[in-house]
Amino acid sequence: MNFVGQNAMSAVDEMQDESDAVSLCSLFAGSESFGIDTRKIREVLGKRELQKVPMAPAYIGGVVPYRGEVLTTVNFRALLGMEENTAASCVLVLEDEGGAERFGLMVDEVGGVVTVNTRMLEANPCTLESRGKWLFDGAYKMQTGLLVQLDPKRLRPSKLAETGLFKRGGTGAMNASTDSR
Amino acid sequence: MSDKRDVDDLTREFIAESQEGLDRMERCLTELELRPDDGELVGEIFRSVHTIKGTTGFLGFDRLEKLAHTGEHLLGSLREGKLAVTSELISGLLSLLDGLRGILALIEQTGGEGTRSNDEDSELIAELTALNGHAPLAVAEAQHGEESGEAHEASAAVTTSASMAAMGNNDKTLRIDVDVLNRMMNLVGELVLTRNQMLQSSMDAANFPELARRLDSVTADLRETVMQARMQPVGNLFGKFPRLVRDLARTCKREVRIEFSGQETGLDKSLLEAIKDPLTHAVRNAVDHGIEEAHVRVLAGKPAEGCVRLRAFHQSGSVVIEVADDGAGIGIERVLAKAVERNLVTAEQAAAMSEREALQLIFLPGFSTAAAVTNVSGRGVGMDVVRANVEKVGGSVEIESKMGMGTTLRLRVPLTLAIVPALVVRSGGQSFALPQTALVELVYVPKRDAQSAVEKIGAAELYRLRERLLPMVWLDRLLGLETHCTEEAHGFYLAVLEAEGCRYGLVVDDLLAPEEIVVKPLSSVLREIGLFSGATVLGNGTLALILDIGATAARAGVKPTEQETEVELVEVKTEEAEDVSFMVFEERVKERTAVPLNVVERIESVPLTQIEYAGGRTLLQYRGELLPLRDDGNLLEEMEGDGQGEEALVTILICAHAGAGGQHRIGMVVRRVLDVSKGRMLDESASTEGMELALVKEKLTMVHQQFGMKAAADWKEVA
Repeated sequence: MNFVGQNAMSAVDEMQDESDAVSLCSLFAGSESFGIDTRKIREVLGKRELQKVPMAPAYIGGVVPYRGEVLTTVNFRALLGMEENTAASCVLVLEDEGGAERFGLMVDEVGGVVTVNTRMLEANPCTLESRGKWLFDGAYKMQTGLLVQLDPKRLRPSKLAETGLFKRGGTGAMNASTDSR
Repeated sequence: MSDKRDVDDLTREFIAESQEGLDRMERCLTELELRPDDGELVGEIFRSVHTIKGTTGFLGFDRLEKLAHTGEHLLGSLREGKLAVTSELISGLLSLLDGLRGILALIEQTGGEGTRSNDEDSELIAELTALNGHAPLAVAEAQHGEESGEAHEASAAVTTSASMAAMGNNDKTLRIDVDVLNRMMNLVGELVLTRNQMLQSSMDAANFPELARRLDSVTADLRETVMQARMQPVGNLFGKFPRLVRDLARTCKREVRIEFSGQETGLDKSLLEAIKDPLTHAVRNAVDHGIEEAHVRVLAGKPAEGCVRLRAFHQSGSVVIEVADDGAGIGIERVLAKAVERNLVTAEQAAAMSEREALQLIFLPGFSTAAAVTNVSGRGVGMDVVRANVEKVGGSVEIESKMGMGTTLRLRVPLTLAIVPALVVRSGGQSFALPQTALVELVYVPKRDAQSAVEKIGAAELYRLRERLLPMVWLDRLLGLETHCTEEAHGFYLAVLEAEGCRYGLVVDDLLAPEEIVVKPLSSVLREIGLFSGATVLGNGTLALILDIGATAARAGVKPTEQETEVELVEVKTEEAEDVSFMVFEERVKERTAVPLNVVERIESVPLTQIEYAGGRTLLQYRGELLPLRDDGNLLEEMEGDGQGEEALVTILICAHAGAGGQHRIGMVVRRVLDVSKGRMLDESASTEGMELALVKEKLTMVHQQFGMKAAADWKEVA
């Protein structure tokens, strides 16, 4: 096991290595870097053209065909409130353990895999705004900067719709659709 | 033996077979009640029970066997004619059926028949024995002895019986013809071979197009075969209704008969499952609320026995299942009153509603919740659920009702869930698929007409389609898409759509090819938008969203229109649009004119001198009557002026016109008769007064439409 954390491990720590170590796939949006547990990533599709869905919430980047399914893709930049950047976009396919809801995540770029110790996770700062608190699990201190861990469960389109935190902006389509129902 | 054990193959097969047998028995029993003298039916029922009894003895289910045995004995008496078919007997046999089913279900779930003591079914057995009371006592006694003996043997057999356990739901298995399965396997083999060849050859290889073609045909064949395997006759679903109707009719104290047609109509298995509940609901509603009590029916001059008709048939790419009753029908006023009371619509809205719109209210959620509604309106328990379930599989529900005549509920479902014919259109730079089933026609509005074609009432835009105003919905505006400049370049297309009784024109930028699309479901977040029923991958690999026609109409505010008048109008239009034979002639110089061929009686050549004039009218004495002549081309004047004298002949078409007051004839003066051929009427919008345009042999031709009317009226005045 290759640890990125520089702190020296005690003997007791090493005993728990197996359960504590986790591989994160690093991704980038804007200048920030994020990590998602590799076990939750089904496939990295690379650069894909997304089919936009009119009237969809702003955080839905569009849909993309994937193995006979139509995959709803979350635009991560939109979640962070960043400007759209069509030039560089990479789609990851994320999946729950149960495979209940499979969805895509569109980020700027996908980096390599890093292994971290879960005990090194720093909690979100209390000054973080509510949307950030919802999205981020916390951060790992890396040599290159902070790696913010994401929880795919919370990135699920249905979850994002439930929280209502991300309704702002876009076309206001959410309101229109709820009205009509 | 109540332990959970593995169900072996033999038992599983037995359960499946027995369930089929019992289904058959159920059908036969309800039929037997109608035709008590049918010996074949009794034989069939007897065989079902007998088979179960025989096999259970072998497998060692003694509880099942005991019950089956009692039933078999009763049926034996019936078969020998010792018993008469009575309603009680049928009820008894039906409870026997339920008892057997219950034990079978228990075996299927737990592997054992759940015998704790030996008298679980004693009540039922006693009932059956009592029904058999007319049989000679000795037989019954002998039977009893035999029974206990057999039961003893059976229980001994149980200890050695094979182990059993829970088995999958019966609905999850499907019987497939081995031929179909073999064909599938062959095609899969072919597919693998083609793939291998494709992998070995490259894109620019000479045989690549050939391989692509083969792949295409194999895929098409395979798809068809799989579809075929999934097809099940609707009759499988209908089979359980006679019993349902019988039981319901008894509880509701009504006399109801059920009739079927089109049981052989095939439907995809998953769809069959999906419409099972809605259909059951519809049938239950028909019996419970639709059909009146016998004395009410008699008072209304209808036969005491009500009738529920189940009809399945194909119609334009979908399967229609109709549940029709001849009951009281739905009172529109009551529906409206109830809807207002429940705050579903305002009183003003209700007053403005057409009958058809009012009926649609029944499908509103909230309309149905209280039982009181059903008492008043006669219908409406959970109709919203029925509609929701059917729409979930891409179908639609229509309701029609005539007071005192009955109600017809129509479930329309696609043939298969997965593949639908669709038209792909473009709007705002994106592709969308419109299901062909909703598409009525396509209209192209060229650039130069784009301004004048759109008429406005307030902010609402309308298109005049054959003198009917059609609400226009701009897809790009509705979806908030950026309008593309392509529209300016070449006008726009109007897709006339109809769904849920709404008819409207959807304005799109461009039409792409019609395609058979494979429907992929969307995630819940996107479904919530409510405008798209799915997505599909097009031939070029891109995705297109499938537009939900009904929801789009609702979003754009299009209201259902009066269907009856609409249908009539459409029929008239289509008649006109159909090919008609015309007699083409020249009336004015260089113009082609025509009359429908069926009005022309004769073509006469008349000397110019025979034509007479009276009171400014041109007349011809023709077979003892005065024939008014019509000379639109001023030919007579021209010929008189030419001074050709007495030899000059005039060609006259003798046309008959059936108007008020009988048959009238007029004569039409023509230069020369050109042709008789088929043609097609053009848009009315292009027509001038009394004349219409048609394309006959691809040439523009004027047509006298009401040529007879005026002349005939004039003639009357003269007379």
